[in-house]
Amino acid sequence: MADLTTATATLPVRVASTRLRFVGSIALLCIAAAVAGPYFLDSYTVNIMVRSFLYAAAALTVDILWGYTGILTFGQAAFFGIGAYAAGITFTYMDFSPQTAVLALFAGIAVSAVVAAITGWVSFFYGASPLYVAIVTLALPIIFVQVLYSGGTFTGSSSGLVGYNTFDLSVEVWFTICGVGLVVLTTAAWFFVNSDFGRLLVAIRENEQRCTYLGIDAPRIKLLLMVVMAMIASVAGYAYAGYTVVVAPEIGSFVFGTELVMWVALGGRGTLVGPVLGTVAIDVTSAYLSGNLPYVWKLIVGSIFVLVIVALPQGIAPVIRSGLRRLWSATSRRIVAPMLAVPALVEASEGHRIGTGSDAPALDIADLARSYGSLKVLEGVKFKALGSELLGIIGPNGAGKTTLMRCLSDGFERTNGTVAVFGRVIARTPPQAVVGFGIGRSFQATSLFETLTVAQCLRLARHRLDGANLLSQAPTLALPESARHVITATGLDRELAIECRHLSHGMKRALELAMVLALEPSVLLLDEPTAGLTKPERTLIGGILVDLVQRTGLCTLIIEHDLDFVREISTRIIVLHQGKVLLDGSVAEVVGSELVRTIYAGGAHAEARP
Amino acid sequence: MTALILDIITTAAILFAVSAGLLIILGVLKIVNFAHGGFLTIGGYSGLVVTELGLNPWFAYPAATIAGVVLGAIVERFIIRPLYDRPLDAILATWGLGIIIGQLITIIFGREIQFVQTPITGATSLLGQTYSFYRLFLILAAALVAGGIAALFNATRLGLEARAVIMNEPLARGLGINSGYVRFVTFCIGAGLASLAGALITPLSSVDPNMGVPWLVNAFMLVLVSSVSLVSLATAAITLGGAQVLVSTYISPVIGGLTIVVLAALLLRIRPAGFGHG
Repeated sequence: MADLTTATATLPVRVASTRLRFVGSIALLCIAAAVAGPYFLDSYTVNIMVRSFLYAAAALTVDILWGYTGILTFGQAAFFGIGAYAAGITFTYMDFSPQTAVLALFAGIAVSAVVAAITGWVSFFYGASPLYVAIVTLALPIIFVQVLYSGGTFTGSSSGLVGYNTFDLSVEVWFTICGVGLVVLTTAAWFFVNSDFGRLLVAIRENEQRCTYLGIDAPRIKLLLMVVMAMIASVAGYAYAGYTVVVAPEIGSFVFGTELVMWVALGGRGTLVGPVLGTVAIDVTSAYLSGNLPYVWKLIVGSIFVLVIVALPQGIAPVIRSGLRRLWSATSRRIVAPMLAVPALVEASEGHRIGTGSDAPALDIADLARSYGSLKVLEGVKFKALGSELLGIIGPNGAGKTTLMRCLSDGFERTNGTVAVFGRVIARTPPQAVVGFGIGRSFQATSLFETLTVAQCLRLARHRLDGANLLSQAPTLALPESARHVITATGLDRELAIECRHLSHGMKRALELAMVLALEPSVLLLDEPTAGLTKPERTLIGGILVDLVQRTGLCTLIIEHDLDFVREISTRIIVLHQGKVLLDGSVAEVVGSELVRTIYAGGAHAEARP
Repeated sequence: MTALILDIITTAAILFAVSAGLLIILGVLKIVNFAHGGFLTIGGYSGLVVTELGLNPWFAYPAATIAGVVLGAIVERFIIRPLYDRPLDAILATWGLGIIIGQLITIIFGREIQFVQTPITGATSLLGQTYSFYRLFLILAAALVAGGIAALFNATRLGLEARAVIMNEPLARGLGINSGYVRFVTFCIGAGLASLAGALITPLSSVDPNMGVPWLVNAFMLVLVSSVSLVSLATAAITLGGAQVLVSTYISPVIGGLTIVVLAALLLRIRPAGFGHG
């Protein structure tokens, strides 16, 4: 065991250092190119490329928001425009000096941050549709441009501001500054998206709902991300205004916002190099071609864009990358395996469990009701559960079992009544906050993150307690004993680097259970945890659950259809029927009840009512 | 006062006619057609072609509708069909299509703003107020569009099938409804309606290759707050269109141009179903 731990611990370090060296050398090469570029390129190209670099920086922010996190945004143009106008207005009315230059930079960043925070607050709320943020960010540049028009001579209205004093730098120096800046930004972005936090963003894109049930405050993370990306776009806009000595409404317009999205889509969303190179390539080419073929060029870009979206949804970069990889394997006769770091499993520090040592019941439900209009799915549900109980919840389909789970795990779900965990009443809060009350829930239909590895999924579950590294991957993964027990007992510890979609159904169910346990809940809600499992797998999971409850006193509610299984593991059984608690008693009482048999055998409803 | 009320009603009528095509495509295909602006432009230029050929201006409407339906058929087959499972990508692809349409029109007709002959000119006196005949005609046109769509969806077999697809597509397919065909026809009709609306608005808005874009944004917002219902769309058009007219008249036309966008975004934040039933 000791040997195994050291072996898995050194592997990630080695993989990480190889990656570091690879990325570092590419970044250094690019910086050298940015310094040497002006000596090799003609002045027209140098001139154009400065602008392209700044567009690429803005495109990179779109890529992080849309490609990685799934937030389709047309609004980054507005932040680019805010940064540019902050410079344009300041330099026009206060003249250029080092002091005003700094003032304009920070003014642009501050205004962008505030506008982004408002936009994010409006767009991201629990239950918001992914289309909604696209609507709001589409409105944003439209509003920005109208504000500029209303500004009259102050903002220069539709013709903008020109000819203010600005930085006294040659085009070549601008090229180097912007080029190096872009390389630094891209490298930082690379570390960011490959860090543990970056995986969190991908998880939000893939399955935001599941994230919230892991206690991850996805709306807040998206809001913060939007603010930071707005600030970066605003700095790019500021440099644009300083370099071109002209600001016009077009740079903050809805059309520019869609162009940024187009460049990202063409280059390859969810890759960093794709959007950056794509933007530079398209912008430089259009500068050369738009003189000769003004409308034809835009037509070609539009056509390629449609073609790429339809035929190559991931953009051009992944196609080139897999081509290069194949070429490399063919010439060197080596298979290039993607470099995946596997963290070593370690023991989590104890003491996160809420309510340890409390006298109150683990779960106290009173008068719980849920209705959809006139349809009452749950009515007057009332029971208590103690820390050492494994409570089986049974009932025919439509009895309200899953609705009960929803009402316990989402504060907004119940229409009436109270739910308390160790005496603390769960407020009307979204699931991510309910997790903080000590409730952990697994789902009836397996709900995981398809492209994340087993280790990454487990780390997500630990985000609430341990946080996530912003720029790196932690070499260790701390899990509570119970979660590690599930992982080792089911053999998941050998599959840590496997993506979830390649796991068998049984493994997925086990991972789901391990993730919920990693939350260190005080009350565990399991919705058919063994559905679709084989008899031995069932027995294994059942044994683990019984052990957990007996040894650690974890209050567990389990929904099951298999009466035999429930009888084997439960300490108490509750029968739900037509949204009401029909029976609440010991295993022997319930199983021997005539009533239960009538319900399951499909007896008349009237007779079934007590 | 009368002029203001007439402005509100006619503005609502125009907005309704412009949004109807987008609404039925979103309803049946669950796709936001960002090429809607492009189809509006096609309609506008159909009117221009009719004018240049020296034909009766009334021909602009059937010509625009046919142009929209034909183009819609091609677009559905090659662009929309592969994107049914990727609604957010469909937004982008149709936006790209809008750019293609705009550039093709620029290459053929040039960038400059052009004007189209109207079938109805002059003004009439209504309740002691002189008012443009054409704007009043648009109320009738919008009513005809609404009636046509309502009849199509409620009185034909295609309409029944389309409603089945809207409610539960897998089940509809299981019942033997060819949902691919329903989608195809719906898209063609939606594109045709958009193009017809483009021809209808030409006397009010000049014709240029990007004429569709501002209309697209307002139509998009109106459709989103209507949750796929014609009645809700009419309510949204009269409420938000009315607000636009009031703000433009009493505050400033610039802010008036933003009214629909801002109010719709806020409304969706407070009530995600918009003007629809919960």
